[in-house]
Amino acid sequence: MNRGYVLKLALVWVAIFVVLAITFRLLEFDLPFMLNWTGFLFKGIGYTILVSAISILFSVLLALIGALARLSKNPIANGLSTFYVSFIRGTPQLVQVYMIYLGLPQVGQSLETLGAPGWLADLFVLPAIPSGILALSINYGAYMTETFRAGIQSIHGGQREAALSLGMTQGQCTRRIILPQALRIVIPPVGNDFIAMLKDSSLVSLMGVMELTWRATKIGRRYFRSLELLTVAAIFYWIMTIILQTIQGRIEARLGRGRQR
Amino acid sequence: MAPIIKVRNLHKRFKDPAHKGEWLEVIRGVDLDVEPGQVIVIIGRSGAGKSTLLRCLNFLEDPDEGTVEVDGVEIRAGEHSRERTQNIIEIRTKAGMVFQSFNLFPHMTALQNVIEGPITVKKWSRERAIAKAEEELKWVGLLDKRDEYPIRLSGGQQQRIAIARGLAMEPKIMLFDEPTSALDPELIGEVVEVMERLAREGMTMVVVSHEMHFVHDVANRVIFMDGGVFVEDAPPAVMFSNPEHEDTRQFLTHIL
Repeated sequence: MNRGYVLKLALVWVAIFVVLAITFRLLEFDLPFMLNWTGFLFKGIGYTILVSAISILFSVLLALIGALARLSKNPIANGLSTFYVSFIRGTPQLVQVYMIYLGLPQVGQSLETLGAPGWLADLFVLPAIPSGILALSINYGAYMTETFRAGIQSIHGGQREAALSLGMTQGQCTRRIILPQALRIVIPPVGNDFIAMLKDSSLVSLMGVMELTWRATKIGRRYFRSLELLTVAAIFYWIMTIILQTIQGRIEARLGRGRQR
Repeated sequence: MAPIIKVRNLHKRFKDPAHKGEWLEVIRGVDLDVEPGQVIVIIGRSGAGKSTLLRCLNFLEDPDEGTVEVDGVEIRAGEHSRERTQNIIEIRTKAGMVFQSFNLFPHMTALQNVIEGPITVKKWSRERAIAKAEEELKWVGLLDKRDEYPIRLSGGQQQRIAIARGLAMEPKIMLFDEPTSALDPELIGEVVEVMERLAREGMTMVVVSHEMHFVHDVANRVIFMDGGVFVEDAPPAVMFSNPEHEDTRQFLTHIL
């Protein structure tokens, strides 16, 4: 890129921010109010990160199991995995969240009428945060199952043959040869999913988890200053994703180095 | 001496990709005896069944009929049992294989590639495996590349590492599936040299290759395969100077 182009690009960005600033001015944004509540909103980031980080761990685990099941010759494993991916990808995330938060207690109740002990029924009444984590993990696990499956299938068949010809079992071959190569391939898409999940974690605000979005809407409504606080929340999300993108870029560069001549 | 490889009435069929519902019989009843220490080269046109036959010997392809016996371990086609799976693994540890496209593990260094089999399959200690691997890497002349990843090595070097990887398992037989076909011409020599040395050290070898230097210098028997059967099986001197069949003669004029 030549310098003239870079300069023009910078100007466009400056112009965007000027227009935004004028708009905020015209809408009579209450800046002191925003600054006043920024600290309160900031405390919600902890929940956002907690929920997304735990969910991404569980979804990677689910995706790994899902992908191996999908590729196995066992009809039960294959069928279960296919159903899981199809159903979760075919239904809205919001419905899934409500099914777990509002629907599961009903399952527990039914079990109790069928004669199950009370403690078992209680297990189905999940608090908000575990519900959110469960919903996000199951949802992202389904999408990532497809990512992992593609990653595993992208490994050349000769790799498996070479491993088998050494006398490895199918399991040894998968663990030692196929998965390490497949995981390296799926790191960029999993990084993308993590960034998406950071934002989707706002869904758990619906269950009353005091995370970023919940705080913004709660206080915003109370003072009729929703736009201000949602803007603050949006900026927080934006900054977090930019940080994550940078980290992702670094990881990819590092992994790429081992693959270059 | 009792043969170390004994194949009887081997058949292998594949689904015909060109005609749906039909089957192609790629191997049509092959018998093969290989004595310990023999070097056998299989030649023939593309599609003659050479590679498939080789891959049936260590069950990368499962034959449809017949028996394969390697160093006393006999496996019949069509059986399925836990014991059979164990027997296949045993045959694979007795017979190393070298592929046309090397198939080194790209996420491992040369050394890691070579110690992988002994550690994972034979449950050797890391120290013992490394000692063995360094010995084999030295033998193929690549000890100085022990910590390089395959992508940084030439095709000839990768194939020599692949040979070292097979030898580290201390096999009794080595199978070579067109080991020089994917190599640039100037790199073929270094791989052939290693294979010739291996033959002179008494390794039993079954090789699919049209590398005529190798065939001339070290093969005990050359088998011309066509249409899934052995057309001719003779020492190289006889095969090249005075082939019995017209088909063999025609084929040889193409490759010599």
